[in-house]
Amino acid sequence: MSIWEKLTKIDRRYIYLMLLLVVMIPIIVPFKLHPKPMPPVENLFNAIDAIPPEKALVISVDYSPDTEPELHPMTYALLRHAFARHKKVGILCISLLGLGLAQDALSTVTNEFNSVATTHADSIINGRDYVFWGWQTMPLVPILGMGENIAKVFPVDYYGNKTDTLPMMKKIKNYNNVALLVSIAGGESPFWYITYAQTSFGVRIGVGSTAVMATDFYPYINSGQVTGMMSGMKGGAEYEELVLTKLGIKGRRKATEAMSSQTAAHLWIMLTIVLGNIGYFALRRRKK
Amino acid sequence: MKVRLPLLLVLITGIFGALPFLIPHHVIQTADNEFRNSVLVIIGAFSLVLGVGSIIRHHMDKVRRKREHWGYSWVLLISLLITSIIGLFGGIDGNGSLPTHIGNFHFDIQTIFIRMEVPLGATMFSILAFFMSSAAYRSFKARSFEATLLLLTAFIVMFGSVPLSAYLIPKLPHFAEWILTVPSTAAKRGMGFGIALGGLATSLKIILGIERGWLGGTK
Repeated sequence: MSIWEKLTKIDRRYIYLMLLLVVMIPIIVPFKLHPKPMPPVENLFNAIDAIPPEKALVISVDYSPDTEPELHPMTYALLRHAFARHKKVGILCISLLGLGLAQDALSTVTNEFNSVATTHADSIINGRDYVFWGWQTMPLVPILGMGENIAKVFPVDYYGNKTDTLPMMKKIKNYNNVALLVSIAGGESPFWYITYAQTSFGVRIGVGSTAVMATDFYPYINSGQVTGMMSGMKGGAEYEELVLTKLGIKGRRKATEAMSSQTAAHLWIMLTIVLGNIGYFALRRRKK
Repeated sequence: MKVRLPLLLVLITGIFGALPFLIPHHVIQTADNEFRNSVLVIIGAFSLVLGVGSIIRHHMDKVRRKREHWGYSWVLLISLLITSIIGLFGGIDGNGSLPTHIGNFHFDIQTIFIRMEVPLGATMFSILAFFMSSAAYRSFKARSFEATLLLLTAFIVMFGSVPLSAYLIPKLPHFAEWILTVPSTAAKRGMGFGIALGGLATSLKIILGIERGWLGGTK
């Protein structure tokens, strides 16, 4: 077998092994790359920054454990940003599996803030600074229902408290009191929010999506129906960069950490494609 | 009757589902609110019971008949039972009536979810990267003009998606973003219109009883 033939027939086990190495090595020996935020991410950041005190940011945690490495850092970054700016946050889940992930992100980020808080006002308190509404069956029920009355859709929060008795909920009644709703999803739930919440109630929508799903949402960015978007690990890393540079919050940045592995993996895949094409063209020339 | 009743139900609920978006009258809107907040929630709760019942029946049957890989069905059934008990009585973060820790060893539902479900799910999904890398190596060949165009676009978007590109070619991430924002969006939008029209036509056929495949037969 000639070298050109070998280039077109690399055993998949070697490709797998190399991919494993290029992903593992940057995890063991990390090198941090600072991503440059793209306009959709900056727009999302600015939209959250501009939320007035009487309105809330709603985060819909719509992903499951399979996409957790890609999407969970986005939830962390959004919560850090919102809590640092003292924005009111409402959290819900369209996906049942999102409940545990939302709870994890909330407890981690609130602990980060509360461990350094010196006064009661600085602390992040359930019911005052955020409400975790939990999950409601059938996506259309919460998406449309929140346009009329959030407390009716979620009579009790995730922890069993009566929603309408919570201090934050005195002012947050429905979508009129929501400045921005960010759906973080590995699937199609942002579409439902765009179709029903944005179109019917005019609520502004932000999206956090996996890289493979991101292209589906670009038409809505162009039309103005989506205010901003984080796409994939890169989007999460860009948001983390903004949180670091503009707010000075130095919590663990999982998406930025993972970007080194992703960079190495992308370069490796590109290299295999180049090698395959070199072999292909060399063989074709020989045949001619 | 077996056919007519479901068809009638679909006709009524199908039309009723669309009406609130077209008629703002308060009678329609109130009825829609009630339907969504009460009826849909009850149906959703029943579907959960149906789903759990179906999965138990399926795997019990597999175990009883000792079908291929029946041992895994035991794993599923036991896991379902244990996590259900812990989830129902252990509370969130182990603050329920059921004790969910032995010393420093915690097994509340949140810990089980974060320490077991999340790594398992993420591992399954990450395996895709290996298949994708092998598939990209085998299939991405510049065999024609279209294939070359696809290859070049993939290269630009892939390289533009990593921070390194901004250090080496500062304009590349913006060019990658332009590809996603303009040509890709144009194609997506065209596809979106087609899919929406197709969906509308299929929905109308189902509502009007022309398409009856969902009944489980053609008659």
